Amino acid sequence: MHGLWLEKFLPSPSEDQITGSGITRGYKYFSRGLSVILLVIVLVPLTLISFLAHYQYESLLQEEEMAQLLLNLEGGKSTIEAFVSELQSVVKFVARDDRYEELLEPRELEALFVRLKNEYPGFADIEIIDTDGKQRAYYGPYTLPKHNYSDQTWYKKVLTHGVHISNVFSGFRHVPHFVVAVSREHPHKKGHWVLRVTIDGKTLQKFIDTIKTNYADDMFLVDVGCVVQTQPQKYGKIGEKCILKIDEDLAAKRLGAIKKGRESISQESMGMMVVKKTFEGQEITHAVVDILNTPWKLVLVKEQYLYAETWLQFKIKLITMFLTCVIVSVFVILEISTAITNHLRESDKKRQQLYSEAEHNNKLASIGRLAAGVAHEINNPLSIINQKTGLVQDLMELTGDFEYKDAMEEAHESIQKSVNRCKTITHRLLGFARQTDVQVEEIDINAVLGEVADFLAKEAMYNQIKIGYELGENVGKIFSDRGPLQQVFLNIINNAIDAIGNNGTITLSSRQIDPNTILVEIVDDGPGMPEEVRKRIFEPFFTTKETGKGTGLGLSITYGLVKKLGGDIKVTTEIGKGTTFEVTLPVQQSN
Amino acid sequence: MIKSKVLIIDDEIEFASTLCQRLKLRGMAAVDVHSGAEGIACLPKMNPGIVILDLKMPDMNGVDVLEKIKEYDPSIEVIMLTGHGSSGSGVEAKEKGAFDYAMKPLDIKDLLNTIEAADNKRSKV
Repeated sequence: MHGLWLEKFLPSPSEDQITGSGITRGYKYFSRGLSVILLVIVLVPLTLISFLAHYQYESLLQEEEMAQLLLNLEGGKSTIEAFVSELQSVVKFVARDDRYEELLEPRELEALFVRLKNEYPGFADIEIIDTDGKQRAYYGPYTLPKHNYSDQTWYKKVLTHGVHISNVFSGFRHVPHFVVAVSREHPHKKGHWVLRVTIDGKTLQKFIDTIKTNYADDMFLVDVGCVVQTQPQKYGKIGEKCILKIDEDLAAKRLGAIKKGRESISQESMGMMVVKKTFEGQEITHAVVDILNTPWKLVLVKEQYLYAETWLQFKIKLITMFLTCVIVSVFVILEISTAITNHLRESDKKRQQLYSEAEHNNKLASIGRLAAGVAHEINNPLSIINQKTGLVQDLMELTGDFEYKDAMEEAHESIQKSVNRCKTITHRLLGFARQTDVQVEEIDINAVLGEVADFLAKEAMYNQIKIGYELGENVGKIFSDRGPLQQVFLNIINNAIDAIGNNGTITLSSRQIDPNTILVEIVDDGPGMPEEVRKRIFEPFFTTKETGKGTGLGLSITYGLVKKLGGDIKVTTEIGKGTTFEVTLPVQQSN
Repeated sequence: MIKSKVLIIDDEIEFASTLCQRLKLRGMAAVDVHSGAEGIACLPKMNPGIVILDLKMPDMNGVDVLEKIKEYDPSIEVIMLTGHGSSGSGVEAKEKGAFDYAMKPLDIKDLLNTIEAADNKRSKV
C-alpha cells in the first residue's frame, strides 16, 4: 500500500523501459522528481515561517514605532499648549476691565510694556483698540498709522470669542509675528475694547527648537491652511505652503479615504493623524496634531524608523538563516535523492541480473532435456543403421569379388563414418543431460589441472601455445567428482587452444576465495569474442567453429557439469585482449 | 571360437535380429527375442551361456531381467546394452552382477571382445 499517492508524482525508473538508455533516463526523472518533492516539503514550510517571522516582527516594531511617535507628538502638543495658555493668561490679566482708561495713558502703557518685555522678551508691541475698531493707544518700535481694524477677521473673532491667537504673518511690520488679543467690556460705552499684543515669530521658533528632541527629524507648526509657521529644517519655508501637502492628507482623512500606493494614513485618538509616505525617494512618517485654542498644528517628521538598525539586523539574520537552510537542504536533498536513486538502480540491476541468470539456467535446462529426448529417440534408429551397415560389411567380406565391390565398400565406409559422427553427437547430448550421481572423492584441484594440462601439452606445443601456472599453494583439497572435473577443465583449455589458434599463452590459476570456495581461472590471450557470442557461449549447439568441426556442446556440457558439482562458471572477454573463464567450486559437496 | 550360446534380448526387433545375424555369421549360436518376459521364458529351452540384454524395454526393466537370469543360473554372463549415453546405469548393472556393458550404437569389435572375455570367464569356471 505504501507510496500509492507518491507514485503519481514520481516517475518509475524501470517500468516500461527495458533498454539501457531508457533506464538511465528513467532514473534521472525519478531522482529529479524525488528532489523536487523533498525540496517542496522542506522549503515551503521554511519559507512560510520566514515570511511569518518577517511580518510579525515588522508589525511589532511598527506598533512600537507608532507608540513612540505619538508619545513625542503628545509631549510636544501639551508643552506648546501650556506655553500658549500662559501667554493668554498674561494678556488676559493685563487687560483687566477696569484698566482701560489707565492704559490709554502713553506712560502707563509704556511702563506695562517694559514690565512685560522684561518677563517675555518676544513681545514686540502693544496696542489698545476701541469699541469701534480704531486704535486708541500704541506702544512699540514700529510707527503704525492709527488703524481701523473693524472689518478685519481677527478683530471680529476676538469680539466673538473673547480671546484670539493669530497665525504668524508679516503684515505692516514686515517681520513674522503673531498676535494675542483679548476683548473686554467697555467701562462706559456699549461694546468691547481690545488689548492686542504682537509677539515676535522668533519666540515661537525658539520654543519649538527647544522642545524638538533628537527623536524627531523635523518639527514645526503650520496653520489651518497648512502655511508654515515656524522654520522647518527641511520641509518648507515660513509663510509658504508646507511641501509635505498635509492639507491633502487632512482632506483624505476627512473623506475617510486612504490613498493607494505606499502611503497610508492612520487616524489616532485625540485629533492626531499619522501619515506614511515617500517623499523625495525617502520613506518618511509624519504626524500632525491640532494645538488647542490656536490656529496651529504641530507637525513631527520622522525620516527613519527608530528601530531601523534593529530591523536591519533582524532582516540580515533572517535572510542569512533562510539562505543557509536553503543551501544546506538543497545539498542534503540532492545527496539523499542521488543516494536513493543509486541504491534503487543497484538493486534493480541485481534483480535484473538474477532474473536473466535464472532465465539462462532455465533455458539451458530445457534445451538440455529436449536435446536428451531427441538424442535418445535418434539413438535407437542409429543403432539399427549401425547394425545394418555392419551386416553389409560382414556379408561383403564373406562374398568374393563382384562388380562395383570397391565402390560399395567405399560407400559403406562413408556411411559408417557418418554413423560414428552421429554417435558422437548423441552421446554428447545424452551426456549433457544425464542424471548420474556425483561420485565424491577428495581431490587436489592443482593436481587435476596439471593432469589435464599434461594431456593437452602436445596439442598446445604444436600450436606454439605456452601453458603457464599460477596455482595457489595453500589451496586445500576439495570433495568433488574427478571425472566431470577433468572434463570441465579439458573442455575449457581445449576451447582456449582453439581460440588462440597459434602463438599465445594460457594461464591456469587457482586460489581459495573463502573457506568453502575455490576459484580456478583459465586465462587466454586469444582474440576474445564479441558480447553476442559471450552471451550464448553456454547454449547447446552454439558454435563459432566451421560446420562439422565443433558440435557446439563442449561448453554447454561444461556448464552442466560445473552446476552439478555445485559450482559456477563465468566468462569475461575483451576483443583483442583475450578471454577468462572463472570456475568456482565448493570445497564440500552440499549433498 | 565362442562356445557359449548367445541370447539377445532387445525390444528393437531390427536391431536384435541384425546383431543376431552378424554373430551367427561369426559362427556363434545366437538367438534373438524381443521382450524381457520372452527372454526369461526361453532360458530353460535354450540354456544360453551369454545374454546380451537391453537396459530399457517396454515390458520389463533390464536390471530386473538381469536379476531373474542370475536367479535362474548365476553362471550366465550378461552384457548390458545402454542407449542413454551414460555409463551410470551400466555401472549400476555391473554392481548387480552384469559382466560388462556396451553403449548403443555398438562397435562390433568391442562387443566381440567383451563376448570373448565373458566366454573365457565361463570356460575357466
